[in-house]
Amino acid sequence: MLAEERRLRLAAAMREAGVDHLVLYGNAWQGDYLRYGTDFGILEGHGIALIAADGAAELYLDSATDAERAEAEAPSVRIHFAPDIARAVGARLDRFANSRLAAAPRRFLPRWLADPARSFAIDDGTALVDRLLMHKTEGEIAAVRRAAQIADEAYAEFLKVVRPGRRQYEIVADIEAHLRARGCPDNFMIIGSGGKDVLGMTPPSERRIAAGDLVTTELTPAVEGYFAQICRTLVVGKATDAQRRAFAVFAEALEAGIAAVRPGVRAADVARAENDVFRKHGLGEYTTSQWTRVRGHGMGLFADSKPHILEDVNTVLEPGMALIVHPNTYHPEAGYIVLGDAIVVTERGAEVLCKTPHQLFEVAA
Amino acid sequence: MRRGLIARSLVELPDAVFDARLDRVRAAMRDAKLDALVVYTNNTRPAGVSWLVGFVPYWSEALLVVPREGAPYLVAALTFRVKTWIERVSRIGEVLHNPRVGLKAAQQIASVQKSATVGVVDFDGLPTGIADDIHEGGPTLVLNEAGPLFAGLRAKADPAEIALAGKAAAIAHQALAQASGGTLNAMIARAERQARLDGAEEIYVAAAPDLARDLRFMRIEGEAAWGKSFALRVTVAYKGTWVRLVRTFCDAGIAAKAAARLAQAVAPLPSDRGFAGFTSWLVEGCRTTQPLEPLMGSRFGAANPPQSGAFVSVQGVLAVDGTTVLVGAPVLLGAPSEAASLVIDPSYH
Repeated sequence: MLAEERRLRLAAAMREAGVDHLVLYGNAWQGDYLRYGTDFGILEGHGIALIAADGAAELYLDSATDAERAEAEAPSVRIHFAPDIARAVGARLDRFANSRLAAAPRRFLPRWLADPARSFAIDDGTALVDRLLMHKTEGEIAAVRRAAQIADEAYAEFLKVVRPGRRQYEIVADIEAHLRARGCPDNFMIIGSGGKDVLGMTPPSERRIAAGDLVTTELTPAVEGYFAQICRTLVVGKATDAQRRAFAVFAEALEAGIAAVRPGVRAADVARAENDVFRKHGLGEYTTSQWTRVRGHGMGLFADSKPHILEDVNTVLEPGMALIVHPNTYHPEAGYIVLGDAIVVTERGAEVLCKTPHQLFEVAA
Repeated sequence: MRRGLIARSLVELPDAVFDARLDRVRAAMRDAKLDALVVYTNNTRPAGVSWLVGFVPYWSEALLVVPREGAPYLVAALTFRVKTWIERVSRIGEVLHNPRVGLKAAQQIASVQKSATVGVVDFDGLPTGIADDIHEGGPTLVLNEAGPLFAGLRAKADPAEIALAGKAAAIAHQALAQASGGTLNAMIARAERQARLDGAEEIYVAAAPDLARDLRFMRIEGEAAWGKSFALRVTVAYKGTWVRLVRTFCDAGIAAKAAARLAQAVAPLPSDRGFAGFTSWLVEGCRTTQPLEPLMGSRFGAANPPQSGAFVSVQGVLAVDGTTVLVGAPVLLGAPSEAASLVIDPSYH
């Protein structure tokens, strides 16, 4: 259903842009463009799809294992196993040398395909697909909404499994199993634990949770390929006054960011609303790239989609966009703190999808 | 997106292992008259950089630059805030942070030698944006394909890689041994949890839920019905070393016979004559940057047959006493004239 809806939208966008064939690239890190056109969630190797003007898709994969999986999981797509994928796709594109070709994301295409020595030229079609990825249909938003519900449930589980003495990777193993048992095959998750020495989140380490730790996590499960994220922070034991004061700034910034979301504002306006709270509290330094990457970002078929919520990003927000607003950064009195909610832009402003309270949680020390 | 344990072990990957690998690389660079070697990494093509310095990105991308003289350095798109993490989990002397990794790497190389000859591993497959940035940052650099050179250097597994392969295989075996439950998702969840608790960097579980209907593996989302006979395949990464293991849930005697047939089939590798009688088969291994690249198989012949001493993963489909069985396990090839052997017994008692 969703796949067919996307296929029709893609074909319409191609017609409007005068593109005869669209070349979509994907790998397990950046698989959203490929999934949009083929409904295949790639895990290994390169994938390159050729989308015809009527939306018909051919998918080239250089992993034999993923090619077999694609044949089973994406039956409406013609699958080609191609160990030398660039040349296999190139041989196909040789037949379209007089057509208008565009690629998304072009910067990821194997260099050989974009070489001017080829018989064909491939324009950059990234913006064409980006528009579709950002502006979601009701069906796509429904998938994001379900993913956000699963994220809430997974965070409730996270609160149960964080205990002193446990290692970070053991906690992540429990959360992954919790999600998997509920039929959720994909999740992006990073974690941090400790005190003021912790500057951010990473994949799990062997570090054991200790009393007094701040434990941060981004949980990002996917439903039908659509990711939704939640960011929360907990304290092992009783939160100190300094931790509470610090967290209050993040809660205020998140609420300010969410309140700023409405159709017609720019991503920069949301970032500014969050950052102004930090500046008001004398913490403006901690909104810079030295301490934080983004103040939120899009969500969808990629866990870190466009638009990035930054003060220099002028993408205009429109109904149907799904975002995470998260003023995550370092606080000099407490350490790294995260707090963020998945939201959808509606005509009336932000619909907050995450139901977990904006609270500095405490678990038994 | 990597989300298992990423940690360096000085016991399993001591400095001397990386030093020996880099020495071999530099000797080959001298022979090939390369001033620098560039290796791309992201979380789907991590195997070149992890072999050289142990770094595996969980996200984003990076270029490792190996100068012919001097320490390797990493140019990473990940932000400065994860610098200490990168240094902790790998053996990298210097990390440079720049969103345009190609531009920065080329500028660094050109700052030492404006017209340096640079070998790029899998140059044809390098992302176009990065290749363009390398040209912009070092317009007079001479860029060559270094994939075959690199593949030759790492074709034969060294003792450290063999030990890691054994550990990865043991993790995969334990995961499949623990796979039980009332639903397919419950089984997969148990397998995943076990692997992550045992230190897997990553685990992918695929299922062929009903072998009477379809022999193909797929990723399961939502509820899935399962048949009387079904199979699970786990793909496990452990400190940069990847293995696949397959378990068919069927009569134990039949599964044991299938395991024995697999052991016999792999013995003549890189010859494929052992697979006579298999419905299909596939040999995968790492040549350059992709952890499990197809090397030879019933669908495509012997495109890149593994060399003596290589470490690979093998999957096959065969009939045992009238029952179709999917089977698979990691394999270590012997020296010329020596038999290849399974790294772990793919049966479950």
